[in-house]
Amino acid sequence: MGQSSLKFGSGTRSVEELEDLAFELRSKLLHLCGTYEGAVHIGGDLSAADILTALYEYGLNVDPSDLSNPERDRFVLSKGHAAVCMYIAMAMRGFFSYEGIVETYGQLDSAYGMHPCKVQLPGVECSTGSLGHGMPLAVGMALSARGRGETHRVVSLVGDGETGEGSIWEAAMAARSNELGNLVVFVDRNRQLMTSFAEERVAFEPYPDKWAAFGWNVVTIDGHDMAQLVGAIDALPATDSTRPTVVICETVKGKGVDFMEHNLAWHAGSLGAADLERAMESLEASRGKNKNKESV
Amino acid sequence: MPVTFTFGEMLSARSVIGTTLAELGDDYDNLWVLTPDIGATLVEFRDKFPQRFVDVGLAEQVCVSIAAGLAYEGNIPVVSGMLPFLSMRALEQVRSDVCYPNLPVKIIGTHGGLVGNGGSTHYAVEDLALMCALTNMTVTSVGDPLMVGEIIRQSMTMAGPIYIRLAVGKKDKVLYEPGQHEIRIGKGIVAREGTDATIFTHGTVVAQALDAADALERDGRSVRVVDMFTLKPIDEELIIRCAAETGGRFVVVEDHLAYGGLASRIADVIADRGLHLTAFERLGIPQVYAGFGEDEQLRDKHGYGLEATIAATRRVIAATT
Repeated sequence: MGQSSLKFGSGTRSVEELEDLAFELRSKLLHLCGTYEGAVHIGGDLSAADILTALYEYGLNVDPSDLSNPERDRFVLSKGHAAVCMYIAMAMRGFFSYEGIVETYGQLDSAYGMHPCKVQLPGVECSTGSLGHGMPLAVGMALSARGRGETHRVVSLVGDGETGEGSIWEAAMAARSNELGNLVVFVDRNRQLMTSFAEERVAFEPYPDKWAAFGWNVVTIDGHDMAQLVGAIDALPATDSTRPTVVICETVKGKGVDFMEHNLAWHAGSLGAADLERAMESLEASRGKNKNKESV
Repeated sequence: MPVTFTFGEMLSARSVIGTTLAELGDDYDNLWVLTPDIGATLVEFRDKFPQRFVDVGLAEQVCVSIAAGLAYEGNIPVVSGMLPFLSMRALEQVRSDVCYPNLPVKIIGTHGGLVGNGGSTHYAVEDLALMCALTNMTVTSVGDPLMVGEIIRQSMTMAGPIYIRLAVGKKDKVLYEPGQHEIRIGKGIVAREGTDATIFTHGTVVAQALDAADALERDGRSVRVVDMFTLKPIDEELIIRCAAETGGRFVVVEDHLAYGGLASRIADVIADRGLHLTAFERLGIPQVYAGFGEDEQLRDKHGYGLEATIAATRRVIAATT
């Protein structure tokens, strides 16, 4: 695509740059969570932050100045409650102003709400929020691309808890039946539901096998390892292939903030000023740890 | 090739759907047809446009969502299936995936009312109440098989979604001569003139209402029949006019729950507009899960068949202020 600087599988950013951007995204998320009085779905935002950074800054062929370009890749946030993570990732990519998000989030007449609405916020591809709806919409969009001989990808981010919805598996079958190799689903496999650890309530395992049994091309990676995310994006099959791909991203809910990680209390919440400072310190420390790990 | 049929002949609405869609597929290269395994009447479209035909199998929810995804991309999707399932199992998809972003998805289906003898799992009796509740949705219920084609044609240029309800759609009476009435979504049809009372109805029950009016004419009664095939937006002007012209005497008869369908839509207009009626009766399905039986038998059993319609109309005409 002519105007865009990015192309799926040929992103120009280095892994290190992407890691810095993911850190910035998390910092901005925490800042919003510390200043907005209402609840923010911070746990699932933090688990998805690396995936959304990799998509908006590396993988997706999109152009913030040309929202309706037919050749753009489509992104559908099926786990719609991570909207604010997507808004900020999009703002960092140049779609919106970050200040606009922080200043108006959740307020009357704001375009930025808890769940994304395409009508109120152009640039968002689909209105989502009810779990199990976004990925089926993506199937329809991928089918349209096929029908018109278009070569862009349709990418959806699905929460693993969301895959308890039957409609996800209807969509999984429909995608395979229609041979939609242009469809890519990233699963944010953070293994937590809102009130429980996932496996305690739902027998998701053997999880990759379930997708494989539905005929999908299955890739499993560490969803917080930017090199692996980039690798998975680079290795996506051609859009005219016949199998849809699922990239199962093993993640941690609340990733980067020690008191939020694996903590059921932080599905959604609000940080006061003191906790914001504590959260930022933890985020800085975790970044340091990662940097050390890399240099070893 | 346009199909022509004569008034009073029996015709399959399903075949009209099939023919119409196959025709429109030529004019609109963005027209898609989707079905959850109810595609027998869509064969013409499927054979002509296999790339734009999707049978998802038994999966109403994803069928509606895929249609929405196609519509987001500028396509015009038609979902065809059985209404008890499209209106209930896929209700949230219709509401949040189609109506919320106001996408031009057409939902067209059969088994509206106590028809088809499938038992209560297979009767759509709450569907009009559910669909009328949805913001952005246009709601229709069509009896005349030829009208179905016209409604589909008109809906092609609509910006938002439409729900088109049929009975079984295999063999229904052609009610109107071609060109006899202007057919326009949002406007009721005065199927028969009259001055003593108005029977409002929709769908295949229009034929029954016309029979009732014929029977009453033999007693010297002049009964108007309104085919209110669009329930939403409702034709308020026509309701107001009928109140004035037929002595404020209304009967509403429908193959739907007596509360929540057309009668409730009309009652809302009466209340909101402060109309002063002389008499109002509603006939429809009571709060029961109806059992098995032929369409007419079930209408009779549950109090909205031909005899009940005649009796209610007599009462309304006899009512004193």
